[in-house]
Amino acid sequence: MSHTTTIRSAVRAVALRQIPAALAVIVLVAGLAGPAAAEEPTRWLNVNVTEPGTETNVEVHLPLSLVISVLDGINVEGFEAGKIDLELEDADIDWPVVIAAVAEAPDGEFVRAKTQDADVSIVKREDMIYVDVTEHEGDEAVVKVTLPVTLLSSLNIDNENKVDVKALLASIDTLPDGELVRVSSNDANVRIWVE
Amino acid sequence: MSQRGISTIPAILLAAVAGLFTALLLMDWVVVDITTADTGHLVVPCPLMVPRVAAAFIPDDAFEDAVVPAELREQREAVLTAVQALLDAPDATLVRVNDPETRVEITKRGHLLEIAVDSDDAVVRCTVPIDGVYEALEEWDWEHVDPELVFDILDRAPGGTLVSVKADDADVDIRVW
Repeated sequence: MSHTTTIRSAVRAVALRQIPAALAVIVLVAGLAGPAAAEEPTRWLNVNVTEPGTETNVEVHLPLSLVISVLDGINVEGFEAGKIDLELEDADIDWPVVIAAVAEAPDGEFVRAKTQDADVSIVKREDMIYVDVTEHEGDEAVVKVTLPVTLLSSLNIDNENKVDVKALLASIDTLPDGELVRVSSNDANVRIWVE
Repeated sequence: MSQRGISTIPAILLAAVAGLFTALLLMDWVVVDITTADTGHLVVPCPLMVPRVAAAFIPDDAFEDAVVPAELREQREAVLTAVQALLDAPDATLVRVNDPETRVEITKRGHLLEIAVDSDDAVVRCTVPIDGVYEALEEWDWEHVDPELVFDILDRAPGGTLVSVKADDADVDIRVW
């Protein structure tokens, strides 16, 4: 028997011996990965808009992954490339510092403003931030925004005062189910929640 | 010999006709069924291959000016990602709109997107194969308007009614089988 034949036989023997082991590994990995993949729940972004005046009700129930992938394709005034423009041209705000300060601050009411136009209140309580705005004129809108403090770490506002909505939505994926925004006004009621 | 020759020709013709019928039966067919108060009932069955072949004879310069805007072309990856995400999503009613005059529902079921519109003057049902849309968009050059896109989607459509419109003055069904 030549050297080449011996080596071939040895390789074949090793290979044949490895096949059951390799199959066992594949079955084991598939067995572990299968349930894990199956258990990963789809997160849904829900939007409900009702217009009492026209008796119109709109319900949108979309997978978060779909919303995030679509955001890139939306380019309208004030919302481009997954970023929403806060239109604060004159404001020079160091957002990272502000966001970090809010995140680290103890519970309490940060802002309470009462004006002729609206009442505004921003409260931090039990790792949640509650923003309440009550308009006294116009649509007399009541806006309630609920944001988990953990979401602040993903709140990225750049030097041009644009909020990276895509990054924010991506981080919502990690949040527990719950309501994010509720707006009530004379014209329409809007509710946004994640589940 | 001459008798054998005569019997062979009809046999070949019969085999050719049988083969043609078999091929036609195996093809995907699209049936357009129109009922109007004026013209009555019109049914147009057509193998899907026929419009595809006909489209192939359309001169290239017919679509020369039908160029896709660059803005849309840039969205190719985003659109494909969105369609894939939709395909991967679990079955659910994605959009529901109700007002006193109209009801709209968009439901994802398997690889199909079902669109239902009920309004005072028309009832529309439409079934779109999401996987067909994805594959057609993936193969499309995103530069020129191409009728092949529609045929590619129809090719992947499941058998049954794709579009059904029931209006006051006409009913239209487009079925694939």
